[in-house]
Amino acid sequence: MHCLVRTAFPLALLALSQVVAAETVVPGRLLASNCFQCHGTDGRPVAGLASLAGESASSMYYKMLELRQKTKEDSIMNSHVRGYTDQQLWELSVYFSQLPH
Amino acid sequence: MIKRRQFIGLLGGSALGLLSGRAFSEDEDVLSRHIAASVPGPTGASGRVVVVGGGMAGATVAKFLRLWGGSQVQVTLVEQNPDYPSSILSNLVLNGSTTMDRITFKYDTLKNVYGINVVQRTVSGGDIDKAQKRIRAGNAWYPYDRLVLAPGIEFDYSGLPGLEGLSYSQLPLHAWIGGAQTTALRNQIANMPSSGTVVITIPPAPYRCPPGPYERACVIADYLKKKKRGARVIVLDANPDIVAERHGFSTAFAGIYGGIIEYYPGAVITGIDVATRTLQTNVGTIRASVLNVIPPQTAAKVVMDAGLVPFGSVRASVNVLSYESTIAPAIHVIGDSAAASPQPMAGHLANAQGKVCADAIVRILSGRAVDPSPVTNSACFSPITAKTASWLSVVYAYKPPLPGSTGFGRMEAVPASFAEAREASSEHYEKMFKWFGNLMSDTFA
Repeated sequence: MHCLVRTAFPLALLALSQVVAAETVVPGRLLASNCFQCHGTDGRPVAGLASLAGESASSMYYKMLELRQKTKEDSIMNSHVRGYTDQQLWELSVYFSQLPH
Repeated sequence: MIKRRQFIGLLGGSALGLLSGRAFSEDEDVLSRHIAASVPGPTGASGRVVVVGGGMAGATVAKFLRLWGGSQVQVTLVEQNPDYPSSILSNLVLNGSTTMDRITFKYDTLKNVYGINVVQRTVSGGDIDKAQKRIRAGNAWYPYDRLVLAPGIEFDYSGLPGLEGLSYSQLPLHAWIGGAQTTALRNQIANMPSSGTVVITIPPAPYRCPPGPYERACVIADYLKKKKRGARVIVLDANPDIVAERHGFSTAFAGIYGGIIEYYPGAVITGIDVATRTLQTNVGTIRASVLNVIPPQTAAKVVMDAGLVPFGSVRASVNVLSYESTIAPAIHVIGDSAAASPQPMAGHLANAQGKVCADAIVRILSGRAVDPSPVTNSACFSPITAKTASWLSVVYAYKPPLPGSTGFGRMEAVPASFAEAREASSEHYEKMFKWFGNLMSDTFA
């Protein structure tokens, strides 16, 4: 299920034509692979934690911005998300949104 | 199709042991929907890559070379062991929470799903023919377009007075590579007298797994509290202070383990007598019932002998955009054998380096430029007791060399992301197993 996301953000809209890897330069993929260690390869966990593959890019993006604001919970994700810029969070959200569930 | 059962099947021995129950009972929906990654057809990249070392870095780079490179990227993985006993979570063997059997991983999926040619052999520096770009493993030569060395660590006993020149079987246990030594150390602890002393020595940083030795002291102390009251743990740390998760570990040492753990930073060892397990130190003479010396670590011998470690250094000099050696073209070094500070020597991070390296090689093999700004991350959970854990997290961004310089860039920590758990908890402990399960599946499945 591919979600074509249109956005009003002043960020580059990434071309979605390279969804299936018939390409060696895939925008957002290497960046998104930072999430695989906890969320499984391609965001498909085997052992709990959130599944990311095929999720809506804007939902994921906003969720991460929300986590970044949280200071009360002692959650590793809230700290981790601070390692990425807004642009990077968007890029990896778009990457995951293009993967089949 | 990698479903839960297949993943569990990757574990040797009693597969459901550690990762049973809670770790898998949640998100059953997710598990049933789990789709295995598969190797795509031609992507434009083609060539042969040989990977030496099937640990966290090597297994990851091999898998992602296939996953991202596609069917025309042939990958051979040379690994001396038949399977991979995990170092991560191996401290839980020491307190009896698990066994090495339950945290040992097979290479079956890399072979059968990703089509990687896994060769069980040992290679040495002399097996690498740089001019002809081929490497010998056993009796066969393996030509390569790119060679990736990920052989892990070598222990350096030369600076430990009393240990130089001893044979491997005479040396005190390090248990710093998961496997037989971990089980042996567990047995030594289980068999020690109730009023005995476990001594752990920590080498100067950088060393593999920064929180590891402190975590080890904690789980052993927790065990002693329950099973050998009166026993204590002495930690002789060559570093001036706790190297990772300072808040968490110092709290535990002073709090729940006060009276059990004695922590000596800035420790200097001037002599070790292995026969009596006696150490001469700047804080006095210490007699150990169980002696665990964690020695300084260098790049593995094959990397040294291949001439990839500059004089005066102990790890291979690499360009962190691709982990290609700065000395030998077409040879990459990842994981603990690579000098890539401030990134820690750690399995989770080695997995990330494997991906950067795989992505770079796939691009190179298709005539494209490498990613100009790779990101890596380090995260891990540390057991503090048999039921609670803490965590640490840090993201690394690429910092290019200064304009006009001929140097290489480096990875730098993003300050806002550098954090540790405020306190150890059972929630973190449960999450630890989910992290571990997904990390090992991302690496081996």
